[in-house]
Amino acid sequence: MRDHYPEFAIRGAEIVAVGTDSVSSFQEYWKREKIPYIGLPDPEKNVPRLYKQEVNLFKLGRMPLNCVVDINGRIRYVHFGSSMADIPDNETFLHVIDQINASSN
Amino acid sequence: MNPSLITPGELAPDFELEDVNGNCIRLSSFRGKNPVVLAFLRGFF
Repeated sequence: MRDHYPEFAIRGAEIVAVGTDSVSSFQEYWKREKIPYIGLPDPEKNVPRLYKQEVNLFKLGRMPLNCVVDINGRIRYVHFGSSMADIPDNETFLHVIDQINASSN
Repeated sequence: MNPSLITPGELAPDFELEDVNGNCIRLSSFRGKNPVVLAFLRGFF
């Protein structure tokens, strides 16, 4: 999503990434990769729990979970990844955002 | 399907966390302003 951030920004959308890694690993990664969007370390795992992000059966990590929240704070789109690589493409998110923007005008 | 999973139409559960720069970010603070793509990472560090 990093390389496509301008396409989100131009639509007034914000990207917020939540992960369970430590604050220092997050900071390092964000700096090294020059990530332009919001990174929220949550080593306590409270928010992934709140959103019921699934843990991989083999404990290799967590399954990807992506949501789009509209400007009224409602979930407009949700995708629970069925494998570690199962993340929707940017077009899917941009399409949902366009729909949100069209309906709020 | 697990009926307790997050589903479209419901209010996004609110939360507040500190970002990588130490700023407090509250999900509901985007309300009325920006759509938000919430990405829960796999943990790849």
